[in-house]
Amino acid sequence: MLTVEALKEFGADTETGLARCLNKEELYLKLVKKLAESDDLTKLEGAIAENNLEAAFNAAHTLKGVTANLSLDPILVPTSEMTEHLRRGDDVDYNSYLKEIRAQWEKFRALVS
Amino acid sequence: MEAEKNIFEKVKRYVLIVEDEQINRELLGAIVSERYEVLYAADGEEAWNIIKEKGQIISVMLLDLVMPKMDGFELMKKVMENEDTRHIPIIVLTSEKSAEVKSLNMGASDFITKPYDMPEVILARINRIIEHSENRSIIKSTERDELTGLFSRNFFYEYILVIRRLNEDREMDAIAINIDHFHLINEIYGRNYGDMVLKTIAKTLKSYARENDGIAARVEADTFYLYAKHRDDYGDLSSRIGEDMNEISKTVHAHVRIGIYPEKKTDTDIENMFDRAKLACNTIRGKFRESVAFYNDELHENVFFSERLIHDMYEGIEKKQFKVYFQPKYDIQENEPVLRSAEALIRWQHPEFGMISPGAFISLFEENGLIQKIDHFIWKEAASNVRKWRDKYGVTLPVSVNVSRIDIYDPEIESRIMNILNEFDLKPADLHLEITESAYADNAEQLVEMVRNFRKKGFIIEMDDFGAGYSSLNMLSTVPIDVLKLDMKFVRNMNKDEKSMRMIELIMDIAGFLSVPVVAEGVENEEQYRLLKDAGCELIQGYYFSKPVPPEEFEEFVKKLADK
Repeated sequence: MLTVEALKEFGADTETGLARCLNKEELYLKLVKKLAESDDLTKLEGAIAENNLEAAFNAAHTLKGVTANLSLDPILVPTSEMTEHLRRGDDVDYNSYLKEIRAQWEKFRALVS
Repeated sequence: MEAEKNIFEKVKRYVLIVEDEQINRELLGAIVSERYEVLYAADGEEAWNIIKEKGQIISVMLLDLVMPKMDGFELMKKVMENEDTRHIPIIVLTSEKSAEVKSLNMGASDFITKPYDMPEVILARINRIIEHSENRSIIKSTERDELTGLFSRNFFYEYILVIRRLNEDREMDAIAINIDHFHLINEIYGRNYGDMVLKTIAKTLKSYARENDGIAARVEADTFYLYAKHRDDYGDLSSRIGEDMNEISKTVHAHVRIGIYPEKKTDTDIENMFDRAKLACNTIRGKFRESVAFYNDELHENVFFSERLIHDMYEGIEKKQFKVYFQPKYDIQENEPVLRSAEALIRWQHPEFGMISPGAFISLFEENGLIQKIDHFIWKEAASNVRKWRDKYGVTLPVSVNVSRIDIYDPEIESRIMNILNEFDLKPADLHLEITESAYADNAEQLVEMVRNFRKKGFIIEMDDFGAGYSSLNMLSTVPIDVLKLDMKFVRNMNKDEKSMRMIELIMDIAGFLSVPVVAEGVENEEQYRLLKDAGCELIQGYYFSKPVPPEEFEEFVKKLADK
């Protein structure tokens, strides 16, 4: 079962995340679970594979926004950096970002299920 | 804001959250719903549909910029360009610094950054924006009446707008409260006491407003307005005011009147509602046993009709909607009745209301002085016809015209009438002037002087409607008149009740004593005619001979007379 403790151990800034949710644990955990079901990361991966940087930016931007609001820092930090590169259209190795994000995502998913 | 603020705290305010990301939308919704009702839209199109339907009740919109279908900028443009929606303040949700300037230029009120600020911060921002938008138009005017601490008129109206916008299901009353003869209270008991009366009423109204989800204002010296929850009975408020007044003085009795207009869903003009409440309030002016009056449509129609008539009068004269009719007067003491003179009577062919009887507008025009215009018009028409008859048929037939009470105060009246006579080359004896008893009651001296002057010039003075009001023998002995006109009601009742017949005989005796002839008006049938003839009445006017007719028709009478 998903707990705040587990998320904290994962590296989330649960204090801030909870405060944003009016310190309602139930609400916080509900929204976190919803995120775990979202396909934003799959979309991002698909866009990179097709080299569609605009679509990639939109997907990354969304994922960044939600993880920021829930203070899921381990996913937020690499997603945020990737989003900024995509915004500028930088020629960087996006796949290494994806790898890092995917790794954190899987850890996160394990917590939820 | 104190007490009255209650209603503003009580009303539900709606916040529209426009955000495509479901988790963000839900999170923001959870925060906002702590204090407001929340409406959700997942893109600009959906938001626009909600705004079109519920724009009036949306207090603020939280708007994401990057969205599918219609993005935030496009929606903002639509909202700002539309008259009905531009009042909705917009708070933009953004993580991009660059978007802030653009949003501001487009009319956004504020920002909430992503990731979101703490809930308290978000709520405080929304609250500030709502307060600001609700007060924006109000801040300019003075909020309070200094003496009583109630709202001033402008503020009061603005707050009603807010209440209306936020409270669709309301059932409210517009109420006007006024004190009869307040200036007398001030004069007799002094200004300080008068102020105390006003403050006491204000205090009562304030607590009444608080209890009834309303607001109160003082709008004029002694006029208060209330906008509060609808009630069928205002006896309670009335007695509360009475009790509180009793506390400041047991001896001074101020008659406080309450007029109520229950608001309809279709009412838009606030001033109009309170005008109607005031109208209801004024119907019980001076009626000390009544202190509550509800507005009804009949009241409105009467006033509306009156105002229309007053408004339309000038155009009516200009466009010749007014017509002078003539009713013949017959001398019945000869073997056969002989046409001796006529009375000029006004008719109004109104383009919308049709033929309006003088009863509907004469007293109305008397109140505001417009009657003078009508009088002048009749004088001239009468003179012009007298001239015409003489030229065409060689007949001299004098016409009686009314001289209204207000004409008596006109210093120019003699020259006005003389000018008309000169214009048509007539003599004073060609126009008979009818005055009423009531003019004597108003200002006896002035009337006597005017009558003397006219008679000196050769005018014939007729006392109209004699016996209608408080006829005074004193008046008859001081005002030098030439003809006495019996009030119609004696004639109407003469063959029905003994008293009227006796009154007629009595008036005939008086006329005999004064050596003036009597004219009976309103003679409708043979029986009345016989009785009057036998009683010695000289002249008769009425349907028995002819109703008042237009000049073309009256010419037939003149022609007949000439042919004899």
